[in-house]
Amino acid sequence: METPHYVAARVQRALAEDDRTAELGIRVDVRGEEIYLRGQVSCDERRRQIENVAREAAPGLRVHNEITLVEVQEAGEEEHL
Amino acid sequence: MRELRIAAVADIHLGEDLRGHYRKKIEGIERRADVLLVGGDLTRHGTIAEGRVVAEELSGLPIPVVAVLGNHDYHSDCNQEIIALLRDAGIVVLDDESTVLSIDGVRLGVAGGKGFGGGFAGKCASEFGEPETKAFVRHTKEIAERWRRALKGLDADHRIVLSHYSPVKDTLMGEPPEIYPFLGSYMLAEAADAEGADLIIHGHAHAGTEKGVTPGGIRVRNVALPVIKHAYTVYCLEGDDC
Ligand SMILES: [Fe+2]
Ligand SMILES: [Fe+2]
Repeated sequence: METPHYVAARVQRALAEDDRTAELGIRVDVRGEEIYLRGQVSCDERRRQIENVAREAAPGLRVHNEITLVEVQEAGEEEHL
Repeated sequence: MRELRIAAVADIHLGEDLRGHYRKKIEGIERRADVLLVGGDLTRHGTIAEGRVVAEELSGLPIPVVAVLGNHDYHSDCNQEIIALLRDAGIVVLDDESTVLSIDGVRLGVAGGKGFGGGFAGKCASEFGEPETKAFVRHTKEIAERWRRALKGLDADHRIVLSHYSPVKDTLMGEPPEIYPFLGSYMLAEAADAEGADLIIHGHAHAGTEKGVTPGGIRVRNVALPVIKHAYTVYCLEGDDC
């Protein structure tokens, strides 16, 4: 079996370098046959693409897509400096 | 002199799939802010098509928009074309330079650009060894030097530095420390501290935190969209009367 450490590194690079994702901020953890994806994205389509790219980069592993969707709120509070 | 309301955001990472979404969230911004600053990573891949989406989403607002690019906007080697099409859409794009906006007679100076990495004092790369390492560090050094010059010549009532990369570690808290050198450089803060500014706005650190301060005491705000979780945050710079 391939060392989980290197699998995680390969998936992380694929998420950054694949044109479908271009995501640098996704955390990838591999434990045995399971792979966990964590982070935040702004739409469901992007979340799905991340899962697809991860699955291709680590065939045979079970992908747990734990990425959260951040729904952008209108305007935040004011801060007086 | 009246107070200035500065709306700021970064890392909007627009693409065809988000066309129209961001614009909806900033409708009515003129009632809450006098200017919108956008701290880079406007796109995902830095393509011209994505640049056009950004221009559509940010153009025609009733308040001025000042932006810098981020690393994602360089990915397709179309950074100059993106800058040109944003400028054609009426957006002020800073590429290691400054601008002065007059808002009800108050002069707001904004200086900056993309910035770059290298790390923070005590744990940073230096211009030593292989040409690749030297080029990396030199890039940041040259940017910081240009910011210093831009700030020096900036005659305004308030001065803001707008960057993509972070000038301090404070606002990176939440990111893995191993990647700090790719998230910012102390040289950016050093330039601002040397010439003086009221506020530094940046993005890039999606998992970081909002608030920090430079060694010289300038307030730093990380306004990456996943950090502020709102279309923008508003910072008020006090006028004389308050
Ligand atoms: Fe970003
Ligand atoms: Fe970035």
